[in-house]
Amino acid sequence: MAEAGQKKVINIAASTEMEQTLYAVKQKVYPRAVSGWFASWRVALVLFTQLLYYGLPWLSWDGRQAILFDLAQRKFYILGLVFWPQDFIYLTGLLVIAAFSLFLFTAIAGRLWCGFACPQTVYTELFLWIERKIEGDRRKQMKLDRQAWNIEKIGKKTAKHSAWLVLALWTGFTFVGYFTPIKELAISFAHWTLGPWETFWIFFYGFATYGNAGFMREQVCKYMCPYARFQSVMFDSDTLTVTYDPSRGEPRGPRSKSTDRHTAGLGDCVDCSICVQVCPTDIDIRNGLQYECIGCAACIDGCDQVMAKMGYPRGLIRYTTENVIKGKYPDRSILAHVLRPRTLIYSVLLLAIVATLGMALINRVPLRVDAIRDRIAARETADGHIENVYRLQIINMQNKPHRYAISVTGLPGIKLGDASSLAEVAALGTHDAVVHVQIDPSEIRARSSPVEFKIQSLDNPELTKTVRSTFLNR
Amino acid sequence: MQRIIQVLWPSFIAAGVMDIVLFTLLDPVALIYQDAPLFTTRLGAYSLGFFLFWLFGTVSSALTCYFQCSTAQLNKICKSSEPKN
Ligand code: SF4
Ligand code: SF4
Repeated sequence: MAEAGQKKVINIAASTEMEQTLYAVKQKVYPRAVSGWFASWRVALVLFTQLLYYGLPWLSWDGRQAILFDLAQRKFYILGLVFWPQDFIYLTGLLVIAAFSLFLFTAIAGRLWCGFACPQTVYTELFLWIERKIEGDRRKQMKLDRQAWNIEKIGKKTAKHSAWLVLALWTGFTFVGYFTPIKELAISFAHWTLGPWETFWIFFYGFATYGNAGFMREQVCKYMCPYARFQSVMFDSDTLTVTYDPSRGEPRGPRSKSTDRHTAGLGDCVDCSICVQVCPTDIDIRNGLQYECIGCAACIDGCDQVMAKMGYPRGLIRYTTENVIKGKYPDRSILAHVLRPRTLIYSVLLLAIVATLGMALINRVPLRVDAIRDRIAARETADGHIENVYRLQIINMQNKPHRYAISVTGLPGIKLGDASSLAEVAALGTHDAVVHVQIDPSEIRARSSPVEFKIQSLDNPELTKTVRSTFLNR
Repeated sequence: MQRIIQVLWPSFIAAGVMDIVLFTLLDPVALIYQDAPLFTTRLGAYSLGFFLFWLFGTVSSALTCYFQCSTAQLNKICKSSEPKN
């Protein structure tokens, strides 16, 4: 009886809540709250990622923001390291690592990222939580949306949207805080003295959050996310996915708790539709794996509760693989099937890239030198030497000042003119050293000869760079 | 509405990527146009660059949409590019 009533509610909701939204004729989804093992994991991950996200920009390191992608100064600070635009290659490496990790995770356990860590899921989860706190559970929300406008409805809706906006703006503020120093940003925010672009991006990101987590929700996953579109490329029959076990569940049907399902010829599914009600993307997992499924496992938690209530074993909906459902091997052998060519290739590639990047980072010399020869042609000095003048642009990429010794090699008897062999460069500074190189005319025959400059820090000999240039004869 | 988002969204992603690539390679305040610096603040340059790329992407995507129409649809004034079957 109660089940029939519930179904009716859904049908009414279906017909009245049809709204033309951004991409498709969309029926507003009211995911029912669930609790259980996976739900706890999701809450834990929401807390973890958001503590990280909101908290990180406030941490300090050596008296400045620990993580700061300072766009205005074109420098990236990550803990003790300072990256320059010239270090772009590391960023690329990092992106490649992220991509391969995603491939690997997806091949092994499906859309773990989507269900538990993707900002879209996380913010939707936060927004849903606010919605439930203010408007009540699923049924109350549907009722509220259907009823005519009155004081109560206006009050609740205002409260909800204000709470959403505050969270969204805070998110936008934090986002900008990764790119401009957050403490100064907070001060200017409090005094309303934000620069026009900062203001714009805070509100832009804030409204994007508000829209994506408050309204678009599952539509972002369905229609806007590139990853969701090509996920199937990474799946195979041994990939763990959220799956309904039809051999156990069918034939489905309602029954009372006292009915013996075996004699009644029924499977384990009581057709209560809980799995559909909890689903944030509003699909019926019992129809098989679908593109819309973000692998959030809410239906697992929901169904397990029903199974417990009925006294049936859990796991009618569970994380399992296509091959298990086909009966090729039992659930306990899933682990043995994790290692397979696809995952091995992904892992090897991932390890290789991580190792290469790690080595490159360890061997990275935070010093950069460019040599530019003066356009003025070679000239003769008073003592009969031929002289070329160079401009050495020395970039000290470290957060402390250095004194560098400059030397030159490449031709017999080559030497530096006066005041050319020392350069002092401030922390994170750039210095143009004008260097005079002289040579005895008898030592040089060719029109142009290669020379090499060596720049070495006096207080840390490991900070060494060499650059090539050419020496022009008269 | 759907069509608008279909045009705006991919160009948004492309503009983001393009902005990052371009401005890592080149420092906007070093850009000189007719002896005067083109931008005074880097943040402004990044943002303007982003919107410019977004605009180009939008134009490109919109043209794709536009050229997708079959001649039959054009005859009836292009309304939808979805193949009518
Ligand atoms: S089918 Fe289950 S796992 Fe997939 S999105 Fe819906 S509730 Fe989440
Ligand atoms: S929650 Fe479980 S028992 Fe209920 S309808 Fe879904 S699969 Fe069947």
